Amino acid sequence: MKKFSVVAMLLIVAMVLAACGTPSAAGTQAPAATDAAGTTTLKIYLLDYTADTITWLENEINPAFEAAHPGVKVEITQGSWSGWDTTFAGFFAAGDGPDIINLGSEMNTLYGPSLADMDSYLGEAAWPEITNFGPALENAKYEGKLRGLPIFTAPRYVFCRTDLEEAGGWTTGTPKSFAEWVDFAKKLTKIDPATNSLTQQALVPVDAASMADWQWWLLVYYSIGGELYKANGTPNFDSPEALATTQFLLDMRQATYGPASDAVGSLPAATGSVIDVDDATGANNGAVCLAHSGWAAPAFDRPTWDKISIDPFYGDPANFPNSKPVVLAFNDWLAVPEYSKHKDLAADWLKLAFTKEANNKWNETMGLIPARNDSQYGFVTESPQLKQEAELASQYGVGFAGIKESAKLQTIMQDALGKLITEELTPEEVLAKIQADYSAALQ
Amino acid sequence: MLNNPYIKVLFTAIGTIIFILIGSYLIAQLASFIAKLFGVKARKRENIFAGYFFASPWIIGFLIFVVVPLGFSLYWSFTDYRVTSGQPAQWVGFQNYTTLLTNDDNFKASLYNTLYLTVFGLPLEIAFALFLAVLLNQKLKGEKIFRMAFYLPVVLGFNTAVLLCWRLMLNTGTGIINQILRALSSFGPFNYLMRACIYIQEIVSGFFLGLNNGNFNLLDKILAAGFPAPNRVPLWVQSPLWSKMSVVMLIIWGCGTMMLIFLAGLNNIPKELHEAAEVDGATSWQRFWKISFPLISPYIFYNLVVGMIASLQIFEPIYVLYRDNQPLVSSAISMVYYLWQKSFSHFEIGYGSAISWLVLIIILVVTLIQFWLQNKWVNYDVY
Repeated sequence: MKKFSVVAMLLIVAMVLAACGTPSAAGTQAPAATDAAGTTTLKIYLLDYTADTITWLENEINPAFEAAHPGVKVEITQGSWSGWDTTFAGFFAAGDGPDIINLGSEMNTLYGPSLADMDSYLGEAAWPEITNFGPALENAKYEGKLRGLPIFTAPRYVFCRTDLEEAGGWTTGTPKSFAEWVDFAKKLTKIDPATNSLTQQALVPVDAASMADWQWWLLVYYSIGGELYKANGTPNFDSPEALATTQFLLDMRQATYGPASDAVGSLPAATGSVIDVDDATGANNGAVCLAHSGWAAPAFDRPTWDKISIDPFYGDPANFPNSKPVVLAFNDWLAVPEYSKHKDLAADWLKLAFTKEANNKWNETMGLIPARNDSQYGFVTESPQLKQEAELASQYGVGFAGIKESAKLQTIMQDALGKLITEELTPEEVLAKIQADYSAALQ
Repeated sequence: MLNNPYIKVLFTAIGTIIFILIGSYLIAQLASFIAKLFGVKARKRENIFAGYFFASPWIIGFLIFVVVPLGFSLYWSFTDYRVTSGQPAQWVGFQNYTTLLTNDDNFKASLYNTLYLTVFGLPLEIAFALFLAVLLNQKLKGEKIFRMAFYLPVVLGFNTAVLLCWRLMLNTGTGIINQILRALSSFGPFNYLMRACIYIQEIVSGFFLGLNNGNFNLLDKILAAGFPAPNRVPLWVQSPLWSKMSVVMLIIWGCGTMMLIFLAGLNNIPKELHEAAEVDGATSWQRFWKISFPLISPYIFYNLVVGMIASLQIFEPIYVLYRDNQPLVSSAISMVYYLWQKSFSHFEIGYGSAISWLVLIIILVVTLIQFWLQNKWVNYDVY
């Protein structure tokens, strides 16, 4: 009886404590976290931003937001692109997490069903400033509905060192067809016989060692007029453009590294951009051309810029009349998950952090092109490089978005393209595999 | 006050403790009640009550954090459950399992890759750990420093700094590993030996890639290219032919725990056996193979079982080496990496759960076979 009394007492205490511990479980608009003064916390999750950006957000945007919203506190958590998917899976599985999350271009389709429809908060009727956003806004939509706002646009250009081109006897500028590129790769790639490794790589695309990254493949494909889907929505990897693209990647890889069974070593690890010069040794970092985002190019104050040209990727007009110069535009955007209990506050914060001035300032801290067209002033126009990049982006920009089941397509393409460079599969077999696997994934 | 999150945390912690206490009490009462049903005497029932009461906090933790997730995982393995779809799990029966076993080339590839890493990585890891343990058992000066140095990789794990170091060390052109190999290959015989190793490694790797693929184009090309040129070096984290061997390097690097276990085993061998053999004129080599090796076979068996389980579950080295080098993933992907990819990259939790249960079954079968075979070679004479 005595034991029973003790247990009964403990049980009652536990129930009382449990009841005290969950005061806000019933309310749908209940704050995620509140402090002693009843302050609501708006949580934001950002990936790999610079210290300057975070400092600016914490010193200017958040205090301004908090002043305009008494009782609301903004909390920024910083994560990394390495492992983001596992973290986000946890948020969505638990149905709980930050109110604003940082996504990449193609993730609108990946997470779309789990993101909030923000049209009523950020659509033109609610926020006329939305009309100032450029094409990157499409990446922040799912099924035609806004899910957040884009921060910047980071297109992929072709940066070339003109001095190295001339030194290698190449005088016609950045190649403008597939045949020219392959010839360029053969002429300007240098191998040190002593180490059996590259000392100069004519073209460094995304993933320099394999030269077969799926994003690079898509850029080349779009440049010759390739479409990812047929009119009926099925994958279009059995098109002539897809075959030419795949063959081009293989040709470039072989012109650079040789056959898979006797490949040479990759470029040594460099300090700074691969098309820059090492200040300590005065030696070139090894690449003649770089097909990558601006952040992989040298910093704008580097003297090397005197000898760097910026171009789009021109495709292969001789063989594919639909070819067009392309810069593949990536962007980061901030989305509001469906589980967020503070969609109104999240929208207000986004409006504040994405004003004309704020979008300009945010991008100035990173040296990138603002997603808002009217924010492309000041540092954008003052820097000749960024100005040219912005012009090319508006002229030739193609969004990296609208890819259905993007994570699966990435896995499927990387798997198949990995087998292309080892020559385990022919280009035809690679495309047949992608077509079959992706069709199955879409079903 | 109750809205204060810190007070809430405090109350939650107190509530948790009370929950564990009540749960423990109830489990102990249940155990005592069952004992009573079986006619156990009151004195012994008190002992049973006390035993279960003190063990229960761990039993409760095990139930909540292991058994419940295990149950969910088993259930999900029979469903189509996608985290980001916003839809509840749909029951599909054995479909996930049948797809995995009959219609998933990627799972088959991950199985072959795991097999490669187990067949080549584990014996090399055990051999290297044993070699280090034998060296450390020579009672040289600074033994403790070396022991710490060799164990350090286990402590460090596979963090970002370690990954960066390995990527730099494995760089084909300027990495220290290839620099050393180049320096050594200036000696003619070593050059031939290294090229022979490269040739064999590439043939084996080409064979495994062919198995993954269903054709042996690459293997044919390697054979057609013939014996490697004198300036050839391993293309570590660059070529699919070397992606798995790079992982093996990391496995070997992390052999510190095995080394300590072997060292303990070597220390446990009675010195008299070695002294008697020495008097009889046995050489060090003979003493190792005739005395030490048979007597540490239980330690080898332990390392083999634990190492095999770890190899079949290998994930981290592949993740850190190839997470940002996507075209190489398919040539090195393991079963658990594939599980991670399906669960946390494609968000197919149901399919991922089915993979985890298949991995469990494979590990159970392999471990049972190992235990069954131990009678043929493990020697417990001195223990």
